[in-house]
Amino acid sequence: MEWIILLIKIIVVFNLAQGLASICVWVERKGSALIQDRIGANRAGAYFYTDNILLKPVFAVVRLLGILGIVNTLFCDAVKGLFKEDFVPKGTSNFIHSLGPFMAVFPVFLAYALIPVAPDFEIGGYKIRPQVANLDVGVLFIFAMASIAVYGVTIAGWCGNNKFSLLGGLRSAAQMISYELALGVSLVSMVILYGTLDLYDMVVKQTVLIGGFLPAWGIFTQPLAFVIFFVAGMAETKRAPFDLPESESELVAGYFTEYSGMKFLLFWLGEFAEIALLSALVVLMFFGGWDIPYVTLPGDWIGALIGHIVFVSKVVFFCILQIVVRWTLPRFRYDQLMHLGWKILLPASLLNLLITAVLKLAL
Amino acid sequence: MEEIIWYIIAGLTLASALGVLIMKKPLYSAFCLVLHLFMIAALFALLDAHFLATAQIIVYAGAIMVLVVFVIMLLSLDGAEKKPSYFLGGLSLVAIFALFKMLLPALRDTFSVSGTNLQGDVKSIGLLLYTKYIYSFEVASILIMVAIVGAVILAKRTKKNVTT
Amino acid sequence: MLPLSHYIVLAAILFGVGALGVMVRRNTIVVFMCIEIMLNAVNLTFVTFSKLHGNLEGQIGVFFVMVVAAAEAAVGLAIIISVFRSILSVETTDSGELKL
Repeated sequence: MEWIILLIKIIVVFNLAQGLASICVWVERKGSALIQDRIGANRAGAYFYTDNILLKPVFAVVRLLGILGIVNTLFCDAVKGLFKEDFVPKGTSNFIHSLGPFMAVFPVFLAYALIPVAPDFEIGGYKIRPQVANLDVGVLFIFAMASIAVYGVTIAGWCGNNKFSLLGGLRSAAQMISYELALGVSLVSMVILYGTLDLYDMVVKQTVLIGGFLPAWGIFTQPLAFVIFFVAGMAETKRAPFDLPESESELVAGYFTEYSGMKFLLFWLGEFAEIALLSALVVLMFFGGWDIPYVTLPGDWIGALIGHIVFVSKVVFFCILQIVVRWTLPRFRYDQLMHLGWKILLPASLLNLLITAVLKLAL
Repeated sequence: MEEIIWYIIAGLTLASALGVLIMKKPLYSAFCLVLHLFMIAALFALLDAHFLATAQIIVYAGAIMVLVVFVIMLLSLDGAEKKPSYFLGGLSLVAIFALFKMLLPALRDTFSVSGTNLQGDVKSIGLLLYTKYIYSFEVASILIMVAIVGAVILAKRTKKNVTT
Repeated sequence: MLPLSHYIVLAAILFGVGALGVMVRRNTIVVFMCIEIMLNAVNLTFVTFSKLHGNLEGQIGVFFVMVVAAAEAAVGLAIIISVFRSILSVETTDSGELKL
């Protein structure tokens, strides 16, 4: 029975990850279009008509989805990616070329195993915690997965077999390892605040009220750590103003250059799944997870469902926030990026750690 | 069941270590070493040393090997090294065999037990590290600072030696 | 629970493989990687013995070995890079002359 519960948990969390990544892709296409004052994709599936009276409502729904651009992003892009020619540049081995997207995507999906998606609930006598793996080390594992994600970029850059692709890949790897430090130190200050490494316990500690009126969310107790974590996380996902790795493909060549078809889509899927992962972490550590401020949820499966819906809506809010930031701000130059990572974010996170430790001992 | 998993992980560890030895291109050796470090982390986790397994992935596989891969890619090494000296190889193999023949029977007879139920979780290691070994901890942090400063000074590009 | 002698034998074999690599290979970076294999074999031995005796200090030893290996990696690779700038090669036999 334990195995069946575990299997259901894995299916739910994996579907959540994929669903969030797909929503992010659609919001990116349509949202960027709206920000840039154009309409975006609305043709595929918009002319889906039928004469059969029974199927008319179904086709009407497909037409609506087509006009919204959902059919285009979710269905047509996938089919296009599957049918493109998958070439490997001369001089690199096939195995290493396929290893690149794998190393970029695998740590992200593995880190989803630690995300609790709903509060504890009891059903049929079984107490279920909606978290696939309750590791002893908790948040450190997510940090380890962020360290592994560097390899995908480096291998992809090297497999291009040209100097521009290599330099682009190495630059983006340097960016990722620089911002990992600020990410890790701000994580450590959150761990000191909550006194636990487990993500579920962190959310439980945020359900109390301080002073009777303010919910003890991380954003109120540690605003600086939130800013540092969010900015460093956006640099880790190579998004937003830190997309020098991707944007280089507009200028000369980036580490994506020699990838086409399904491997390129795999990179994209991994990137959007990482956006959703960052949003989920921010929600869990700083915004109370599934907590609604002055309401206590019932302990059975209805409470879990409500908590899950609240959690997913908060995560979607942060995904949309990241996408809007990406399409609003211009990108950093490489030396500005390194200056921000090493000279501003790292000392600020260390200062935050010091203040947190002192206040935790004093109070 | 646990035996099968252990043999698979141990086989992969040994195969990747041999891969580091055998591969001609240094970049493939580096990737084999990354796999080896992952498998060692898996062995640590099997021995209930959870903090060390995660620290192994963060420090070794995530930082040190990234540095090695950076250096190999920046220096554009292609691995056309001279033939290895088979005389030295044979000599060291003989020495290793002799060492094993002396050590292994003693080891195998003594340690056929299963060990205690020690859990190497973060809290216990943290408590020990910050109370009993605090001096070594601070010295280790000074060591890392010295290593950082030394590495920057050694590898800095000056006007005389610009090749990379 | 698996008998711990399995881990010790595996660590001993890995140490032997690392030592063989240090002797045989001529590329300095690959020699460095074989040294890392040896260090990891020793780490495995430390953790196995810590589990055997129920003493957490073995794992603290592994922690410090990792710290020292990280420092050694940084400095060693910096040395390899600066030697490469002079002689443009990473073979161990090419840097045999005292006058660069």
